[in-house]
Amino acid sequence: MKTKLFWLQGLTCNGNAHSLLNYAGFEQFLEDFEFIYHPMIDSEHTLSSLVQNRKPCDILLIEGSIAEDFQRAGVGIVDIIALYAPEVKKIVTVGTCATFGGIFKDSPYHDSSGLLFLEEEPVTRFAHLKDKVLSVSGCPIHPEVLANTLYSVREEITVKMDSFHRPKAFFAYTVHNGCTRNEYFEYKVDKHTFGEREGCMFYDHGCQATYTHGSCNNILWNDVSSKTRVGQPCMGCTEPHFPKRDLYNTKKNMGIPQDLPLGVPKRVYLTLTGVTKAFKIERFSQKIFDA
Amino acid sequence: MPKTHKIEKLIEKIEGEATLHFHMKEKKISFVDIVFASSRGIEQILQNKPALDALVINPRVCGICGHAHLIATVKALEDCYEDIEISNKAKIIRELTLNFEIIQNHFKWFYLTIMPLLKEEQNVMRAAKPSQLMSKAIAHLAGQYPHNSYAIVGGVVCDPSPMDMLKVQHLLQETIRFFEAHLVHGESEKLLVCEKIEELLARGGDLPHILNKIVDQELQHCGKSFDRFIVFGENSYFQRGKASKTRIQPNISEVYLDVEANSNSLAKNVLYKQRYYEVGPLSRAMMLKTPLIKDAHRRFGDSLMSRILARVCETLQLLNHSLSLIKEIDLDEPSYIKPSTDIQHITGEGVGAVEAARGSLIHKVQLVEGTITSYQLITPTQWNLSQGTQENPGVSQQAMLGLEEIETAELVFKSFDVCSVCTTH
Repeated sequence: MKTKLFWLQGLTCNGNAHSLLNYAGFEQFLEDFEFIYHPMIDSEHTLSSLVQNRKPCDILLIEGSIAEDFQRAGVGIVDIIALYAPEVKKIVTVGTCATFGGIFKDSPYHDSSGLLFLEEEPVTRFAHLKDKVLSVSGCPIHPEVLANTLYSVREEITVKMDSFHRPKAFFAYTVHNGCTRNEYFEYKVDKHTFGEREGCMFYDHGCQATYTHGSCNNILWNDVSSKTRVGQPCMGCTEPHFPKRDLYNTKKNMGIPQDLPLGVPKRVYLTLTGVTKAFKIERFSQKIFDA
Repeated sequence: MPKTHKIEKLIEKIEGEATLHFHMKEKKISFVDIVFASSRGIEQILQNKPALDALVINPRVCGICGHAHLIATVKALEDCYEDIEISNKAKIIRELTLNFEIIQNHFKWFYLTIMPLLKEEQNVMRAAKPSQLMSKAIAHLAGQYPHNSYAIVGGVVCDPSPMDMLKVQHLLQETIRFFEAHLVHGESEKLLVCEKIEELLARGGDLPHILNKIVDQELQHCGKSFDRFIVFGENSYFQRGKASKTRIQPNISEVYLDVEANSNSLAKNVLYKQRYYEVGPLSRAMMLKTPLIKDAHRRFGDSLMSRILARVCETLQLLNHSLSLIKEIDLDEPSYIKPSTDIQHITGEGVGAVEAARGSLIHKVQLVEGTITSYQLITPTQWNLSQGTQENPGVSQQAMLGLEEIETAELVFKSFDVCSVCTTH
């Protein structure tokens, strides 16, 4: 039996829907799951019919932020969620907008938010559904993370979750884990210029990878790379406050980065920095292919 | 006086939704209202943000052409400088990744939208497989797809190795093989120089199949509009200019753009010197005088037949052109040249125009000391879906006039490759 999915969209760019199409196992996925509605894939029902009369559905997927006045096919998205919530086994918020509000929490809709959260703050509107909710944040979602989260529901596997309902299997890691620029961070080589394979973007260019939960460098994007690997700072797109302000600059107090690696006390960070700075490691001052 | 009645149809699966209100007179469409009921207010979201944050926000305008928004953003920001140097290497890399995005879009549009509208079963994997290959090629250079911000003021953040470029080349070759195995069977090189549409229709593959079906159903002349085309983005392949039928005028300026609000829809109209123009692959092919498209246009005008053909042919043209562009990169050049002035000291205005999958995309920005004080997006779908009046209809409105079947009108409407999120942004 295929697991029935309803892909419902709030205020969104459709980036999550397109990202899932990049899942390497998508052909098998379509054997195991069936969309009763999807923004691109043909489905048995039209949106107009689904929002009028509830049809059988196992998992409700919500992409995009949610606002009282926002409608799909002439019906308020809040009402559509209320219609399907009692029926489904799980509700999965797909992407950072649906989870925390994301970019479109700042849209002209006054009450735009995620399903359970507005940034870190709980939203009361759907609080009664919280036991049913799994959050897959990311702007966009990583296709493997979403696909495997959906498989865990299908296979009825118990999933350990963090306080935002994100599966720990993917969100217990930081984006820093597995970054090819790690050595420059570990040894505090704080010189970075865009357009180079060398250097770490943490010190000057706003990279949030050391304190952002996600598997971007653990399970590579499009099976080949990641933003930080090519040299783009991590923008913290899986986190409640995405997007923060002044994204290409590292905020510092007295020359010390304001946000430090997850769980690392400032004293530890400063001590380590002091030690490593006492040494000059030749290899890290050369171009990687010249060393 | 014959009576007019209205038929309302919700158009779904267009990166969102729109409602078409068909005015029917003597069983024919006499006018169409195109209504978009939602906007996310990206232009307001950008207000008072530091300039570079636009590089992160703007790709999120659209999940299928967000990369075009990134490139338009970076060009608009760079245009705020009086003097800024971008290496040829960075220019080529930006052009490549944008080509790859256009290619993935066209595969998705053909297989997910057009084939089902012509009563063929939707083959999701024929859309997904080549899209995955092109997304992977983008990821080699830009880290991921969708939604990267690898183009920055001064160049690109990546420094690809010769090995990375080899991988990109192989992905392009694999996508060409996919094209030859499914879209148009056989050697694709001959298709690029083919001058008669009969040569294409005689071949096997999903494109000739669909085009033959259109001819069998006598739809090949449906969807004609004003036969006016415009292209703003220019690169090593696309040519800037406008055309009325086959008469090309290469000199155009963003100064003559008009953006007008609508009373009943959140989409704004776009005009050039007070006239509506079609943008997109057909317009680009008209500028380039692509032989096969010229033949289609001569016989079927700016109909849905020409539009579908132009889009699929462009897929192949861009695949081949990208292969030759790779050879032109000098990897020893810098990827990034630090601008002499930090953007936080820049006050000025800039325009960035690129060709996105659906046509010309224009971003206009004003900065005061590096902070965005005004941002305007003009998207391809705004051009094509502008909602004019009965006296002066927009391009897609004109294309649907006189049709009898609502189903055919939906096909004509979607032949423009409609994107709801871009239209209202």
